[in-house]
Amino acid sequence: MSDKADSKEEKNKFEMARRSFLRGIGMSAAATAATPAWGGQTFSDAFADFFQKHYQRMSAEEIEEALERIERKASLRYGVKIDCANTPPQEGVVFGYAINISRCQGYRDCVDACVKENNLGRDSQVQYIRVLQMDRGDTNLEHSEHYYDPAEVPVEGKYYMPVQCMQCDDPPCVKACPVEATWMEPDGVVVVDYDWCIGCRYCMTACPYWARHFNWTEPEIPAEEMNPDTHFLGNRPRPRGVVEKCHFCLQRTRKGRLPACQEACPTGARIFGNLLDPDSEIRYVLANKQVFRLKEDLGTEPKFWYYSD
Amino acid sequence: MKTKRDQPDFGYLSKALNAGAGLASAAVIASFFLLSTVRAQDATKTDEMIRFEGYPGAPEVEVVPRKDELFFFPCDQCHASMEPNPEIRPLDTMHDTGIDHGRGRIWCLSCHDFEKRDYLRTLLGEPVDFDDAYIVCGGCHANRHKDWAFGVHGKRVANWAGTRTQYNCTHCHNAHSPAIPARPPKPPPPVRAGLKRERDADHGESSTNSTEQE
Repeated sequence: MSDKADSKEEKNKFEMARRSFLRGIGMSAAATAATPAWGGQTFSDAFADFFQKHYQRMSAEEIEEALERIERKASLRYGVKIDCANTPPQEGVVFGYAINISRCQGYRDCVDACVKENNLGRDSQVQYIRVLQMDRGDTNLEHSEHYYDPAEVPVEGKYYMPVQCMQCDDPPCVKACPVEATWMEPDGVVVVDYDWCIGCRYCMTACPYWARHFNWTEPEIPAEEMNPDTHFLGNRPRPRGVVEKCHFCLQRTRKGRLPACQEACPTGARIFGNLLDPDSEIRYVLANKQVFRLKEDLGTEPKFWYYSD
Repeated sequence: MKTKRDQPDFGYLSKALNAGAGLASAAVIASFFLLSTVRAQDATKTDEMIRFEGYPGAPEVEVVPRKDELFFFPCDQCHASMEPNPEIRPLDTMHDTGIDHGRGRIWCLSCHDFEKRDYLRTLLGEPVDFDDAYIVCGGCHANRHKDWAFGVHGKRVANWAGTRTQYNCTHCHNAHSPAIPARPPKPPPPVRAGLKRERDADHGESSTNSTEQE
């Protein structure tokens, strides 16, 4: 009898699975039907997008047209008027970052600000910053915990180490890219041409810091939370299926502003600045504090330091 | 160097300092002399005021003003009509300040001026504007103060280039309880769809106390 009950249960389970499967198909079909033609833009824009060249090979006019297409597409897709800029790197500037791990309390305010600033999907797994919770005295990253969610941080006996793109000076991800869709800008920031990326994810495996993220879905952002201040190589709306990463908030930092994570940090653990300016805060850190870099032995020359005091 | 001002008897203070931390106070006062100070030229600040001149090689820093954000300021609104009482005691009226600072070595009049209620004071008794609270803090916390002056402790406001504007110490630290309080973190990143959160084997127990995530 129990066998019978079991088989009945099994059957029910199967039935449920079958139904949810069919429902899934139906919903995806509906979603496909709801997607406008030409990927949510006009035919002429889709046509021009297809023939859009690599960022570094586009003329000024072509970039201007590409920016306008991005703005038009965003207003169709999200119903928001965004401003996509192409601010060039400043002369004599190489950006560097330092984090004081004795200040960081693990609040994750930086992550939150980053998600909002860079128009990352609210429920996707793409987050440029991971805050690792580590045991005091332990530096083995394998032991870190980044899903920590206690009632209050900091937890006794733990310390916190935010990890994001290290903007390596000898970036392995750039070497791995088969289509040269990622490169280092003159201000030291490793950027991605999202339109040129083919989504092969070689760079993700090449990166030793888990700094590159593949967007499986187009980000779902409420229209009122969309950040309209964007940059072609920065936080503009990305197509689905490309690799993204922290870009030191190019849309802000190239205009002299501070990155969103630095502004959000409530403890002042984050120091950002120009490595070529001997009077900058970051240079003071490098000259006066005990700094280290993650996985320095790999020779990737990160422009991202950690220190404690 | 500086003319001695008429002051109420601060014997209790030196006694408290000696009792609590003779060594610390000596270090504190020594470090305070290192902060070179000059008489203010600013018309809005009195001649008695001292201003921080900076460390050798330190960049020029603008400090975000603080007075506008103070709830009770100006203090003379009430204190002008009150008899000052130098007795060390807990304050239970108006200022509900359990002082969690200095482990019992300091109390209100260590940092607040006894005569000029609208000012803070240094350990040497010079009045300090509330906007320059970092001078008072630097009297004891010399290392942090130096880091702050070079932009490494504390936070720079808005830009990495151009004018350096920094927050005052008291923007981030409650001067009466300066440790940054513990609070809940922002939500953790979602676990990848289809996967389950593993328990953290290396830590024995999972370091999260949230209910199981999907």
